[in-house]
Amino acid sequence: MTSDTGLLAYLLIPLFTAVLLPFVARRRPGFSASLANVTLLAGLLNIGYALLNPASLAASFADIKEDGFSLLMIFLIYLVALAVTFFSAWYLEGRPNRAAYYSLILTSVSAMCGAVTTGDFFTLYIFVEALALTCAALITADDSAAGLEGALKYFLLTWPASLLILFGIAFLLLTAGTLSFENLKAIIASGRPAGAVVFAVSLILLGFLVKSGVVPFHAWLPDAYQGACAPVSAYLAAVVTNISGVYAVIRIAMLLRLFEIKSYHTSGLLMFAGMLSIMVGALAALRQKEFKRMLAFSSISQTGYIALAAGLGTPLAILGAVFHLVNHAVFNTVLFLNSAGLEKAAGAGDMRRLGGMEHAMPWTSWTSIIALMSAAGIPPLAGFWSKLIIILALWDGGAKVYAVPALLFSLVTLAYLLAMQKKIFFGKATEASAASREARPALLVPVAALSVLIIALGAFFPYVFSYLLETIAARILL
Amino acid sequence: MTYHVLLFALTTGLAIAAVMARSLFLSAIMLALVSVGASLILFDFQAPWAAVFELSACAGFVTALFIGAATLVNHRDQAAVETRMRFYAMPLVMAGAAIAAWFYAVPFFESLESWAKFASRPGTLGSVIRDLRRFDLLGLVLILAAGAFAINSIFPWRKTQK
Repeated sequence: MTSDTGLLAYLLIPLFTAVLLPFVARRRPGFSASLANVTLLAGLLNIGYALLNPASLAASFADIKEDGFSLLMIFLIYLVALAVTFFSAWYLEGRPNRAAYYSLILTSVSAMCGAVTTGDFFTLYIFVEALALTCAALITADDSAAGLEGALKYFLLTWPASLLILFGIAFLLLTAGTLSFENLKAIIASGRPAGAVVFAVSLILLGFLVKSGVVPFHAWLPDAYQGACAPVSAYLAAVVTNISGVYAVIRIAMLLRLFEIKSYHTSGLLMFAGMLSIMVGALAALRQKEFKRMLAFSSISQTGYIALAAGLGTPLAILGAVFHLVNHAVFNTVLFLNSAGLEKAAGAGDMRRLGGMEHAMPWTSWTSIIALMSAAGIPPLAGFWSKLIIILALWDGGAKVYAVPALLFSLVTLAYLLAMQKKIFFGKATEASAASREARPALLVPVAALSVLIIALGAFFPYVFSYLLETIAARILL
Repeated sequence: MTYHVLLFALTTGLAIAAVMARSLFLSAIMLALVSVGASLILFDFQAPWAAVFELSACAGFVTALFIGAATLVNHRDQAAVETRMRFYAMPLVMAGAAIAAWFYAVPFFESLESWAKFASRPGTLGSVIRDLRRFDLLGLVLILAAGAFAINSIFPWRKTQK
């Protein structure tokens, strides 16, 4: 038993609501959205209180076997899920079978909470597979052939990843006799020969890299994001991929750093894959014509920064990776939800058919600017600080050969995101955009709230940094 | 030893039934039972952890997947008329294989028993599930719930397409 029972409520309550939804919302389909939103809001307030209230934080940590990283991830899961369900309540209004949609979202929240609270590789695998199942179904919620294609690609291309993880787990059990993170740390500390254990952990890492969509394992990602309906794309890009893949990569990187020289090659490969993702994702994003597809490649590039930092494995790098994961989730939610608003207003996701949308959709335009500036690492927004930490960590850790291109490709990110902003929002209004109107206020609420969060995380960075240092670095790294 | 062989025969029988079943849904259920049989065999060889893994991953996740897939293609399956004559030869082939295996499988099981100590853990299947892998069972419940919601979500899409 490796999970903390104190955090079990964050897993069980959404699952309970998910089971309840199809029954209580049978006669009033609109009720399903309200119930899902209330459940997620209650969970978010609860975990937010635990995170922000220092007194309760101290008390909470006494019960938590793992660390503040799990708490932060639960907060992120609830935050993004709430933004998506709130947005969906209006976006999917009138669509059939909404109860199943919200049940799937809530089940995936449960699965993600299970994944981030466990301290055992096999339990992590089970929850990640439960998440994969819910997400494949969510991608098909679009009622389109593209949705089904995206879901099949998501499932079939991430299936080998599951096999790799399972092989790694079997090998780990055979060589180390345990799957628990804590026991593995003890084995490493005991000074036993760790070659076989490193190999097993590397297999598991490879599986999670496929699930993260890191280059060269990214083939499934753009199709899945593009094929899914817009709020689901936001959910996938912002939190699902981060939890089912990137979170595990950081967790494994935390273990690998304890192997020191024995895991040198694995860490090196992780850094290389991260750098490759930054480059390939950014260059591919430059060439895209479709808004969501461009954001998908941008997401691959941003994941690369996290993998790069995780591969380096120094405390500062891990801190940067965790903070960038949070930022990536927040600005991705804003950008993808904005793409949904644009699709609904203009009826097109092709950037060539859009233009001059700023006049029709000023709020969408401004929130997009905030999110893209954060993604590109423009000061003083949150994305700037996380990228700065990563680049400083790379420089400080002697990986200058990675630090310089990481910095340069941040400029490429700015280039393609500005090009996107120009094509969609600036310039002369096209036929499609002339007939468009600003998204309903209810659709703008989650986007505006997350934009404020991006600004706040950047403006109050010293406090955020010391918080991360105390809750993550000090407790698990130093 | 007789118990091992009977369990093995039962699991094999279920696997044949899964292949021969006319309904895909029934086939998926049979495969789940094969997983249960396999986990009982693993447990009997003093490997309760492996048994629990088999039970969690295969009987839960894979069954949810198969049932989901079977539900999706069921209408096509019903529409397609196929000759199933070749399947009736299967029990005969398997019976021949079983007679041959009797000479080879029994010594193999005996040698397996000597390997069992490597994977052995104290406690019963129940105690391993209850005390060591309880959280996994919650994951299994989640997978089954996800499977049910997935089918519920994909069904209207099928109706629209039809």
